[in-house]
Formats: sequence, structure tokens, C-alpha cells
Amino acid sequence: MELPEPLERLIAELSRLPGVGPKTAQRLAFHVLRGDRVRADALAAALVDLKDRIGYCSRCFNIAEGDLCAICSSGRRDEALLCVVEAPLDVLAIERTAEYRGLYHVLHGVLSPIDNVGPEDIHVPELLERLAESTVEEVIVATNPDIEGEATAVYLQRAIAPLGLRVTRPAHGLPFGGDLEYADEMTLARAMSGRRPL
Amino acid sequence: MRLVSLTLRNFRNYPRLELELAPQLNVFLGRNAQGKTNLLESVAILALSSSPRARRESELIGPLAAEATVEASVERHGRPLEMAMRISSEGDRTSKMIRVNGAPRRAVDLPGELQATLFWPEDLSLVKGGPEHRRRFLNELLVQVEPGYGRALAAYRRVLEQRNHLLKRISAGQAEAAQLEVWDEELIRLTAVIGSSREEAVRELGPLAAANQAAISPGERLDVAYAGPPPDFAQALATARSEDLRRGSTGLGPHRDDLVIRIGEQEARSFASQGQQRTAVVSLKLAESDLIERRSGERPVLLLDDVLSELDAARRAALLAQVGSGGQVIVTSVEAEPFPASLIELARVLCIEAGQVSPCG
Ligand SMILES: Nc1ncnc2c1ncn2[C@@H]1O[C@H](COP(=O)(O)OP(=O)(O)O)[C@@H](O)[C@H]1O
Ligand SMILES: [Mg+2]
Ligand SMILES: [Zn+2]
Repeated sequence: MELPEPLERLIAELSRLPGVGPKTAQRLAFHVLRGDRVRADALAAALVDLKDRIGYCSRCFNIAEGDLCAICSSGRRDEALLCVVEAPLDVLAIERTAEYRGLYHVLHGVLSPIDNVGPEDIHVPELLERLAESTVEEVIVATNPDIEGEATAVYLQRAIAPLGLRVTRPAHGLPFGGDLEYADEMTLARAMSGRRPL
Repeated sequence: MRLVSLTLRNFRNYPRLELELAPQLNVFLGRNAQGKTNLLESVAILALSSSPRARRESELIGPLAAEATVEASVERHGRPLEMAMRISSEGDRTSKMIRVNGAPRRAVDLPGELQATLFWPEDLSLVKGGPEHRRRFLNELLVQVEPGYGRALAAYRRVLEQRNHLLKRISAGQAEAAQLEVWDEELIRLTAVIGSSREEAVRELGPLAAANQAAISPGERLDVAYAGPPPDFAQALATARSEDLRRGSTGLGPHRDDLVIRIGEQEARSFASQGQQRTAVVSLKLAESDLIERRSGERPVLLLDDVLSELDAARRAALLAQVGSGGQVIVTSVEAEPFPASLIELARVLCIEAGQVSPCG
């Protein structure tokens, strides 16, 4: 049996989401169909509102409601420290530890030739420009401790070296192949305070 | 090391199978395409964490099922070990969930728990076939005896794939050559890890294989040497860079390794008779078991898939001598003919037909 077009369309859209296969997409679509109209409206409105109101910080590429994110516009952060992370969720994870008071730079990815991702695709030129004219003294490269994360860290260390800044990497506790976002708070707090030079 | 029981659900042509295994010799008889290899493959998957023959893991899942499971009770150093693997697929993604004694386990960290040596018809090309057969042989041995080897190998393959893509992008003017350095650095580090593991293993394996060969064919001198990456790998990689860029792939590294196998003074691959080559294969496979035993203190489970009928009496006897030497042996065969009556008496013999296992007759 062919499904009606609106159902097909929702299933197709849902299965574009990461981690959602065709079967899961079907289950979700039928769930929305079965549920109240109010719920469907709320979901649709939340999606549109998200895209209308949230964008990326023009300085650090963290999520932002205006031109600058809450951290860049705070004025009470330690501007001698800058932490480079892969994704906005990593900022959240590190902020939860309350251990770190510096600035951030969000790459939105890692170096991965397989996926055609090079330095210019992960805001590296913007990072270097930003560092050249800032008060930052130490850059903490907190990419995930997996193959691409390590390669990105080494690349950044080399690219930043000519600027004469200290480049470090969060140290112990982060398991290789792990994901920063899923590290528990204690582990992450310890990793941030026990940094090693790159 | 011994497999106590095996349970399969929707694994290839086994909708469900519950099997108890005898501590010494287990013989499974069946015509072609009934599920003999599938059965041993399920055990090999628990040992190696991936199938030695499936091109895509989704092919392991039986018809009309969304997931396959393989579970085993193992006795290791006298202690029970429960292993479970669930292979499921949705769309074009296949995933594996593994548990050891109830605790989740990553696939790269599974090998080493259930130690096994699989000897199947493909292995008959170990000596005369291409180098990939011999690299596979080394890898299947090393993942089981060296913690960390599997991870290093997986990382190496990933870095190699990244580097090869980058070489192509650089040649196409889409990326700068300077980006190669970070991948080269990782490649060099992992090459050292893999190379030294392989070198050490072959140094240990050589005399063991030679002893086996001499026992089967008195007077035949088998010699196994590791042909690994160039000694100054970093320098060699730098020198080969322009060549690599032109070809769009990496020409040097552990993915090009080989074993040089000689009988007497001659390279066995080109000069040995078929009989000598087969003896060398049997000797190498037994040496694999010997080395696992040396490193772990226990004989691995020996899985012999349909190879006895391919071998003559002396080589067959060498393999079957494993029975009673402390190791468990699981054999499949089309006919009962290759087994001496004295052995059959010791064995649990079952028949396989269309994914069902039952007493013969
Ligand atoms: N995913 C699968 N689902 C169902 N049957 C399968 C699957 N994969 C393989 N088979 C069947 O298994 C049989 C081959 O089993 P195999 O163990 O290789 O035979 P043999 O006894 O000759 O070693 C074939 O009949 C093949 O169709
Ligand atoms: Mg077979
Ligand atoms: Zn910002």
C-alpha cells in the first residue's frame, strides 16, 4: 500500500535526521498523526522558532540569540584563555563543570578528507584571525580524543605556533575514542584543569 | 579454553540453534550448503568480533529477521564467560551490540576473550595466494593475543583512508599539501606500533611453525620471515610522497606487509610443491594455536572447516593430534571418512541439514 503524500513527506524529512532510520521515521510520523493537533502545532512552531531566533555567534560560532553569544558578550570571562571545541554541545558540557571561565571557539566539525572537510570548513581561518588580534595567551584544544579529533588538534597546534601562544590539550580521563559531550562532569572538570602542552 | 554451549537466533540459515559442545572433539557432518561453515563462522565472529567472510555484516542476518544473535558460554582458565552479540540492521546501517558477562563491550575490544584458530578452505591459499591472505593471518592472530592491536589496526586503516582521500584532493587542487603532515604523523606512529607487534609475533611463530613442519614431513625446513615497512619509515614516506600524490594512494606501510615463507632455501610460494605448500599451511595454522597458547596459557579452540578431506593422512593426523592435547576441536566435514574410528569414539558427532543440527542417521 502506498502511503498518502503528507505522511510520506514527513517520513522522508524525519529520516534525514541523524540516527533516524526509515523504520524509526515511520514510527515517529505515525506517532505525530495519532497525537493531538496541539502537539503537532507545538512541534512545528518550535522548529520554525528555532531557526528564526537562534543562529551562530559571529565571533566564536557558539549558538547565539543575537550577533554575539552569551559568553562572548558576558564581559566577565577570562580573556586570556580560549577553548576550541568541535560542537556547541561541548560548550554546554564544559560550562556545566563550572571549572572553566575562558572563551570558546566552536569548529562545527573536525578535519576529515573523507568527508571533504578541510581547515577552511571548520572556521580555522577565523580562529587564526581572531587569535592574532586578541588578548588570548593560551589555547586549549578540546577536540574529541578520536582519530580525526587528534589530527585536528595537531593541525591547530601547528597553525597557532607561529603566533607564539601556549597550546594545550585537556589531559587525563578522556577515554580515547570517547566523545566529549558524553564525558561525566567530574572527568571533564579534571581533564580541563590538568591540561598538557601540545 | 573451551566452548560449552552456543545459541544462534536468525543467524544466516539458522533460525534457532541451541547446542552443547563436548570438551574434546566435536564433529559436524553435512552435505554442501547446509550450514557447516555458517556454524563455525558464528564462533569465529565471537573470537574476532567480525566475520572472516561476510562482505557486509547484514548478510549474517537470516531471512525476514531484523537482527541476528550469537551467544556462547565459554570456559576460560576454568572460569565461566558469557558472551553475546546482537547484529541488527535498519535501512542500510548494521550495528553490533556486544556483551561480555553482561557488560557492554566495544567490538575492537572483544578479541582475546574467546580464543580460536579457524582453519577453512580459504586458508589453503595462505602460502601460494596473495599477501592479503598472510596479513589477514597475522591480524587474526594478533588481535587475539595483543590487547591494543585491534585498536591500532582500526586506527591505522582510518588514517590511511583519510590520507588517501587527502592525496586525491591535493592532486585535484582542492587541498594544500601541508595538510598531509598531521596524517603522516599518525601513520608513522601507528606503523611503528603495528610493525613491532607483527615483527615480534613472527619471530615467535617461525620456530613453532618449523617444528610442526618437521613433525609432519621430517627433514623439511620451514622458515618464516616478516617483510615489514622500511626501517626508516618516516623518511621513506617523505621520499614517496610525490609518487603517492600521483597515484592518489599510499604505497608504503603495514597494509603492504607480507610474510616470506621458505622451505629449504626456496621461496615456498613459487617453488614448493602443492604438497609442501599444504604442509606449510597446516604448520602455520598449528603454530598460530601454539602461539596463542604460549601467550595465554591455554590452547585455543580449533575450528576446522571442511579441510580434512583436502589433506593427506599425515597432515590430517597432525591436525587431529590436537584432540587430547588439551584443546577443544570443532570439525565440519561432508563425510565421516577422514576420521579414524578411534577418534570418532571420543567425539560428539552431529549432522547438519538446512540449518538444523541433530543426531545423525
Ligand atoms: N543470511 C542468510 N539467510 C539465510 N540463509 C543464508 C544466509 N546466508 C547464507 N545462507 C545459506 O547458508 C547456506 C550455506 O551455508 P554454509 O555454511 O556456507 O554451507 P556448507 O555446509 O557448505 O558450509 C546456503 O544455503 C545459503 O543460502
Ligand atoms: Mg562450507
Ligand atoms: Zn561567542
